[in-house]
Amino acid sequence: MSSPVNAPAQDWQKFLARKSFIELSAQDRATALLDAGSGRVILGPFDRLKSPWLPQQGIVAQADDGVVLVRGTIDRQPAVVAAIESDFQGGSMGEVAGAKIAGALEMTLADHRKGIPTRPVILFETGGVRLQEANLGLAVIAEIHAAIVALRPHVPVVGVIAGMVGCFGGMSLAASLCSHLVATKQARLGMNGPEVIEQEAGIQELDASDKRTIWSLIGGEQRFAIGQVDALVEDDADAIAAAVRAAFAAGVPATPRSARVDEYLAKLAAFDPTQAPDPKALRAAWGKGA
Amino acid sequence: MTVQAAAHAVRQWTTMRDEKLRRLASVSSYASGKVLDARRIVPALETLIKPGDRVALEGNNQKQADFLSRSLVQADPAKLHDIHLLISTLSRREHLDLFERGIARKVDFSFAGPQSLRVAQLLEDGKLEIGAIYTYIELYARMFVDLTPQVALVCGVQADRHGNIYTGPNTEDTPAIVEATAFRHGVVIAQVNEIVDELPRVDIPASWVDFIVEADKPFAVEPLFTRDPRHIGELQVLMGMMIIRGVYERHGVTALNHGIGFDTAAVELLLPTYGESLGLKGKICRNWTLNPHPTLIPAIESGWVDSVHCFGSEVGMEEYIRARPDIFFVGNDGSLRSNRVFCQLAGQYGVDLFIGSTLQMDQDANSSTVTLGRLAGFGGAPNMGHDPHGRRHSSDAWLSLITEQKPITRGKKLVVQTLETFKAGGEPAFVDSLDAIEVGRKSGMAVAPVMIYGDDVSHVVTEEGIAYVYKVNGEERRAAIAAIAGATEIGRRANPKQTADLRARGIVALPEDLGVSRKQASRSLLAARSIDDLVAWSGGLYTPPPQFRSW
Repeated sequence: MSSPVNAPAQDWQKFLARKSFIELSAQDRATALLDAGSGRVILGPFDRLKSPWLPQQGIVAQADDGVVLVRGTIDRQPAVVAAIESDFQGGSMGEVAGAKIAGALEMTLADHRKGIPTRPVILFETGGVRLQEANLGLAVIAEIHAAIVALRPHVPVVGVIAGMVGCFGGMSLAASLCSHLVATKQARLGMNGPEVIEQEAGIQELDASDKRTIWSLIGGEQRFAIGQVDALVEDDADAIAAAVRAAFAAGVPATPRSARVDEYLAKLAAFDPTQAPDPKALRAAWGKGA
Repeated sequence: MTVQAAAHAVRQWTTMRDEKLRRLASVSSYASGKVLDARRIVPALETLIKPGDRVALEGNNQKQADFLSRSLVQADPAKLHDIHLLISTLSRREHLDLFERGIARKVDFSFAGPQSLRVAQLLEDGKLEIGAIYTYIELYARMFVDLTPQVALVCGVQADRHGNIYTGPNTEDTPAIVEATAFRHGVVIAQVNEIVDELPRVDIPASWVDFIVEADKPFAVEPLFTRDPRHIGELQVLMGMMIIRGVYERHGVTALNHGIGFDTAAVELLLPTYGESLGLKGKICRNWTLNPHPTLIPAIESGWVDSVHCFGSEVGMEEYIRARPDIFFVGNDGSLRSNRVFCQLAGQYGVDLFIGSTLQMDQDANSSTVTLGRLAGFGGAPNMGHDPHGRRHSSDAWLSLITEQKPITRGKKLVVQTLETFKAGGEPAFVDSLDAIEVGRKSGMAVAPVMIYGDDVSHVVTEEGIAYVYKVNGEERRAAIAAIAGATEIGRRANPKQTADLRARGIVALPEDLGVSRKQASRSLLAARSIDDLVAWSGGLYTPPPQFRSW
């Protein structure tokens, strides 16, 4: 818990009274970030944008392909939220799902060129590319990357990782390209998921069932502590919405994290790659106090 | 000389005591008083234990005398072989390495869980011989009859130099094993985490204990009774709502035992929300026999619970229990005193209801968690999940199961089985023939390893509804089960006309018959939806073990 053991009773009551963001569906998550009553789903179920590939592999497709796009306003400014539904195929990025996100970002860029200050938010809850759609999934993830990079000089592109799936694979790169990343302590952000690492490199490399180790390496708290996440918030819809509003209010960062190449190269050069630092050492070296 | 006198002249009446004294003397060089030298524990065990001995090794589904088991397995099989192991749970690798190395030969046990495949393999290889597979208390009962241990290897948190032992909150099986051994001339060896001058309390008195040894690390204990509310699904919420209305409210169940599972965790988490909205607080679920499930915290904090007696403890619940002495059984030191045998006794004769999930059920409501290829054993559920015919006191809930007016009749304990009609992977949970029959046949068991016998079952709950099977017999009882068996083959045999009749007569109830709204069955009804929520409900007193922390 982030709250201390001896926290006053009202803090616990407040915690229990919160609206858990993790508990929400993709659509409810997106709506929770928008000004009350402003949200409306675009490219909904009646637009019949299903994956053409899943049924061919005996998997039932879903009417939104696991991505819900909601238009609305954030602090009375036009906004679009792309929310990934982790309950559908682990939030994996198929052709349609990815194209919906990339398309939304490209339309946002078009808005900005017309002087409409649309605010883009991506809710990452994804294991990365959908293996059943292979290269098509990878191609749309690349489109998402390109769209974020093109858009972020105009407006902060805000990413949120809440949990419980986390954000992995090509979509972890997308999250890292965002201007501003919000995470909960339940979130995880990494290239390969723990199960993949265990499967490929063996249990002696990483025990995927060892939650403490996993979260100490790639959990929201650690990512925040080493500067790879900008805001660490409680699993509370109001707190996450406030963090998103604050990110837009702060405006476009001078240099996005992914453009600070020299700084990160220097940081990496300080480590001996044969002697990987443990999470604590990394915090000491890269942490806010360092 | 009379015949009796002649017999007296040859019969020695103190052979067991003499043998014990001889063994104690034989290890004097390894011990200082009662304290065995931990570095020389292996030769000490080789000297104290004789080939063919019955050795009770404390290892249950929670705590483990693992320093002693890790030491025993290092014994030289030339010196120590063919021991007969009495162990409630074969759960650690070295438990079976003992058989692989020939140190042990025969085993009487209750549960093999994760090691069950290896048990089957060793059995096939002829390296392991099974005496019998029991429920926990049957195994302990045999220790007081014809399986008295020559040596008991047990564990506790602390000991003093005299050999008094503080078991900590996980008292569990230690008193039963030590009593059976100590009072029939067996040798009792206890591993403890540390030897101290002053104990918080004495759970096992020094005069029952022959040796203590300080372990290299604290004994292993697994948090097996924690269910993360994150994984409770909406079907389980629906079933929980039906259980509260259709069983607890209907029968006025105040004293009960919950097995471990997501269904029952859902019930625990629905009491402060759904139960409260029905005005049931104080009317149901007041006195409990169960391990200290973290999911019970919200019900305790909301004032639902009067008392909880525990089989064992649960990792992370120690400080919470210490802060709620009105609810739990605690010592003068403040920490929990659990006791598996007494809690089993309370669960059989003191409470009115057992409820547990199962994986497979036949048309007669026989159920089993055994699946093909695995011989997992029984644990404690069969004892909790039966109607004890020896009961003579009555209660409203017990009396409510009387179905016929006769001059001599009796009530029944409510034995409730819950299951979803299909298991993960689309396997039907209702079957014509339990896998247990095949497993029993293959393992050479005299009877099929049924977990709960159908004739003990009073209620079956699925996501479709409740069958009040205690009200009916024979063909009609099968029809009641088919009526709630959903789209399984057995469920499809239900005759809609007969189901309607069973509903009209209150033998089958669907959610709408109970006033339960399917639409209301959402996770938002749960008082806690994550481990974090449970921590908050406890005011920070519950400290979840690492494997349950997702942050």
